[in-house]
Amino acid sequence: MSQAPEILVRVDRAVKHYFRGSECVEVLHEVNLEIERGDFVGLIGPSGSGKTTLLNLIAGLDQPTSGHIFFAGNEISAMNESQLARWRTNAVGFVFQFFHLIPVLTAFENVELPLLLTNMSARRRRDHVRMVLKAVGLDHREHHRPGQLSGGEQQRVGIARALVTDPALIVADEPTGDLDSKKSKEILDLLQMLQEELHKTLLVVTHDPNVAGRTRRLLRIDSGRLIEDRCDANRPLPLRRAAPVAVSSNSAGLVDQPG
Amino acid sequence: MSKFILLMLKNLGRNKLRTTLTALAVTVLVTICVVVLSVVATVRMQLSTEASQAKLIVTERWVAPSEVPVRYIPRLTRIRGVEDWTTWNLYVGFFDKTLRSDRAGLGFATRVENLTRMHGGLENVDPAVIEALKNEKSGVLMGSTLMQAMNWKVGQQFTFFSTSTAGKDLRFKIVGVMPAGVYPLSFFFRDDYFAEGTGNKDTVSLVWLRLRDASLAPRVISQIQHDFASSQPALKVETESSGVARFVEKGKVILFIIDFVALILSIDMVILLSNSISISTRERRVEMAVLKVLGFQPLHIVAMVVGEAMLIGALSGLAGAALAWGASALAQSGRLPSDGITSFLLVFPVPAQAMMWGALAGASIGFVGSVFPAWSARKVKVSDVFSRIA
Ligand SMILES: Nc1ncnc2c1ncn2[C@@H]1O[C@H](COP(=O)(O)OP(=O)(O)OP(=O)(O)O)[C@@H](O)[C@H]1O
Ligand SMILES: Nc1ncnc2c1ncn2[C@@H]1O[C@H](COP(=O)(O)OP(=O)(O)OP(=O)(O)O)[C@@H](O)[C@H]1O
Ligand SMILES: [Mg+2]
Ligand SMILES: [Mg+2]
Repeated sequence: MSQAPEILVRVDRAVKHYFRGSECVEVLHEVNLEIERGDFVGLIGPSGSGKTTLLNLIAGLDQPTSGHIFFAGNEISAMNESQLARWRTNAVGFVFQFFHLIPVLTAFENVELPLLLTNMSARRRRDHVRMVLKAVGLDHREHHRPGQLSGGEQQRVGIARALVTDPALIVADEPTGDLDSKKSKEILDLLQMLQEELHKTLLVVTHDPNVAGRTRRLLRIDSGRLIEDRCDANRPLPLRRAAPVAVSSNSAGLVDQPG
Repeated sequence: MSKFILLMLKNLGRNKLRTTLTALAVTVLVTICVVVLSVVATVRMQLSTEASQAKLIVTERWVAPSEVPVRYIPRLTRIRGVEDWTTWNLYVGFFDKTLRSDRAGLGFATRVENLTRMHGGLENVDPAVIEALKNEKSGVLMGSTLMQAMNWKVGQQFTFFSTSTAGKDLRFKIVGVMPAGVYPLSFFFRDDYFAEGTGNKDTVSLVWLRLRDASLAPRVISQIQHDFASSQPALKVETESSGVARFVEKGKVILFIIDFVALILSIDMVILLSNSISISTRERRVEMAVLKVLGFQPLHIVAMVVGEAMLIGALSGLAGAALAWGASALAQSGRLPSDGITSFLLVFPVPAQAMMWGALAGASIGFVGSVFPAWSARKVKVSDVFSRIA
């Protein structure tokens, strides 16, 4: 049952300039990159090297100064802001270092938020949210506000929110940066589960060697150039249509596209 | 959709103190605005209806208090274009012998048969009351504020100590009350009772002539001036609107100032809301960027911010108007002691629709006050979520 790997993300000679006053700074120099569907990719590099900038381009939060970004064959670097917003809802899930949950909403409501932008019925939304909260192990915290949750729990809610629209790609910028090492490990386990069992494609920016060590493929960027690209050949990509196992039995429904 | 409204409500609940203070301030300002504007509206309405009725006032030209001979009346009312008429005899005095100024009153002796038709504001007086007036010679139709000030009920009898016809004090019986705001400090009673009681059968203070059409006024006036040119005593004729206009010429400036005050208050509310909304959006820039990252459109953000402001505006507008209306209704129910404020509210009743207008005005103020903060909030850059702010 082997398949040709499918390219989910293709970055084609992407250049990014920023203007600081009148001075033009080139943050990314002609970056070329392909990410296969189902991969777990780490992105490391010194501070200010352009990691977040590259992540923003791939996730459709920013546009390259020149070059092209393709997602599943569609050029997202040609979309306007509102097309991008619509595209992001279904295509990309975001996990933040500081969680960025809405403090007035419960865990349930925070996770439900992206679904409000789809035309999914209230009933299906509820089932979906319950399912992902269960997948991240927080079904017993549904009605807690972020302020009543520990850091690790908040990040799980953040991951559940990233997962709820069933996007193909999940991006994370320093997802464990604000957690202690024990909680970091739990979050990493969870991320790995997303890849291995839910077949998500993961792109994770990190300074954390533990995180870097867990990824299947590791990119190093320095001064806006990709300088290292190491892939763990002993770890095959999970088969896309692999039968769901153990934990994912309760998350099997995630695979169908929302409304 | 309901989820978005829920989100707005929760957002308002974020900083309860700030939301409460803002809402309270808007509520108070709306209350003031509603009272002030209903004063203006009532006055304007009275002016315009009275003026449109094309009534003429005929008085004695040179002597005050005016005494128009009764024998003139047939000649006056026969003039073409005069549709209906009545007379007033002013009856000034006190409700008790203390002669205190707050016991003073003004009675109008007039014809009962067309009382409701000849007096703006009395059109809807219960026919039973007029019937009672026809049956009870000493019957009186009382102004509502007087009624409260004296704490009287219908059926009450009283003696009026007249200063205009000294020694001719009449005994009256209240048969009905006028609507709030209509001749609130006066009372009407029968002209035949006045003639009998005071012995004055020959003159009236003034004659009211109602014309078929306002455009007839100049012709009727010149006709009267011609017909009575050589009569002794001489007559003066003016349209009611010119009389009223003369009376309110100064009032117009006050109305304008009141309007202006209401405008300033509205601007105050806009600034207040705008300030509160700007602070709360600035505090939530990261959150709004996160919402945009999740796929919310800039218009969703604008709608959310504007919606919050309109919600708080509408709720406090409703509350403010309800407060004004409630106070006015309470005062009219007679359960409050009649002091300065309640008699004021009585004269200028606040209609129930004011609540709808209050809510609408509040929502509009919320809209105007939040457009700028919302517009700037919509521009938060999604790429900042990872790089700058995080
Ligand atoms: N909006 C911006 N305007 C101007 N310069 C920017 C902007 N965003 C990033 N930069 C600059 O681009 C360079 C790369 O920034 P980026 O955030 O991608 O680095 P990074 O690798 O994510 O760093 P860190 O590990 O500290 O998060 C930095 O020098 C930064 O100052
Ligand atoms: N205010 C609160 N209301 C309700 N539950 C709370 C509240 N604060 C904490 N909890 C719960 O108590 C438990 C412990 O929280 P705590 O913040 O102490 O964890 P922690 O060990 O610091 O975790 P982390 O490393 O993730 O921050 C969590 O399950 C959390 O949901
Ligand atoms: Mg960064
Ligand atoms: Mg903690």
